[in-house]
Amino acid sequence: MDKIEPGEMVRRLTGFIRTEGRFDSVAIENFRKMPGGASREIWSFDCSMERGGETNRRAMVLRRDPGAHNISTSRRHEFMVIRAAFAERIPVPEVFWVSEDPAVLGSAFFIMERIEGETLARRLLRDDTYARAREVMPAQLAEILAKIHRIDPVKHKLDFLAEPGDNAALTEVRRYQENFRLFALEPHPAFELAFRWLLGRVPKTARKTLVHGDYRIGNVIFGPEGVRSILDWELAHLGDPMEDVGWMCVRAWRFGNDQKPVGGLGPREDFFHAYEKASGAAVDPEAARFWEVFGNLRWGIITISQARTHIDGFVKSVELASIGRRTAETELELLNLIE
Amino acid sequence: MQDRPTSVELLEAAADFVDRELVPAIEGARQFQVRVVANVMRIVAREIKLEDPLVRSEVKALARLLGHDAPHLHSLDDLRTAAAGMGEELTAKIRAGEADDGAWRGEVLAVVRQSVEDKLRIANPRYLEGDIAIRNAAKPQKEI
Repeated sequence: MDKIEPGEMVRRLTGFIRTEGRFDSVAIENFRKMPGGASREIWSFDCSMERGGETNRRAMVLRRDPGAHNISTSRRHEFMVIRAAFAERIPVPEVFWVSEDPAVLGSAFFIMERIEGETLARRLLRDDTYARAREVMPAQLAEILAKIHRIDPVKHKLDFLAEPGDNAALTEVRRYQENFRLFALEPHPAFELAFRWLLGRVPKTARKTLVHGDYRIGNVIFGPEGVRSILDWELAHLGDPMEDVGWMCVRAWRFGNDQKPVGGLGPREDFFHAYEKASGAAVDPEAARFWEVFGNLRWGIITISQARTHIDGFVKSVELASIGRRTAETELELLNLIE
Repeated sequence: MQDRPTSVELLEAAADFVDRELVPAIEGARQFQVRVVANVMRIVAREIKLEDPLVRSEVKALARLLGHDAPHLHSLDDLRTAAAGMGEELTAKIRAGEADDGAWRGEVLAVVRQSVEDKLRIANPRYLEGDIAIRNAAKPQKEI
């Protein structure tokens, strides 16, 4: 992908929005790249749109694939899942336009509303400003998750979502086993033990729903009052809703607050109870435990694949390189869970 | 023979400079990256100090677990190769279900835990200490 200068991006983006929204004129201000966004670039801007003498001004963000090697359809899929969530009154940014035409900005992207707030989990867990948020967020996150699992994929034409087959849990375990065999450069007996443990305890999944796929406090915009928005829907798929519950309990998202397993915020039981109340579906603690073990294992395999991204030279980065030495943290947690 | 400072002393001097002088002078995402740089240097310093004794005891423990005679190896490279080879042998046995239950499972878990904790002694000793403290707190207290 040729690098497009920010000035040129603004020019092209202005034209794109004017055409898509059939505006008489469009003006973009404060266009800047946001920090973070390891897998996608995020750009923030303010957009004034004029039609028939009426001007509307919105705070927006652009989420763009970093290069042409990505699966070109994924941005459209993520856009459609967020649009479905918005229609079901789940707190997500309003999404406006999507494009997969590389002629517009070099790679696929979509544009959505910019929600003000904080995303750094460490601030949520430590700062006095967020004392109230810490109290209310476990129940809020459980209620929002119940709503996500009620999204009807047929009603919202989400038929592109990966279909897990007869047993969603077994499908996911096999998928990550393949990734693990592909990426691991050394023997990892702790991961092998975890795979054996999981394969011996595959839950029979009665419910099959939309699964967010990356539901953790790092993907939440929050304010002092609590949750404002749920982000990063690119891993959404059909499967066992308990997968999201287990992922929320993974040790790495507690940032040291290990006495509070759910995102460093509270006990599992309260979160399960709030989810049951909101969804009307029972949480089987054994199934939740299966998915928590799976979640830790999945995160461990992600640390290996991130280190490989550096080692193989796709992206040279000291941060990615150092993540390779975090794999052992996950191995220790898995041993604690399965012993 | 190299002159002082040792490799560990050099790395620690560099890491101290990064932590004390660079981190406070840099903001935002870059500051996080700079912290990562200092952390990486401290990992390498600990590895230089600890790798030899740790890999020696790992090779011994794996050999005992797998029923091999303890190999007499001297160079660090040979020890690493032996640990990796026996690690592959162990993972093949786990995949075949040999550690699913029974008495050997307990032995496997103990050896694997020791290897994982040894990795953390180099990669993140504070994480390991925290984990041990949590596990001790979770154990039922003995009445005196």
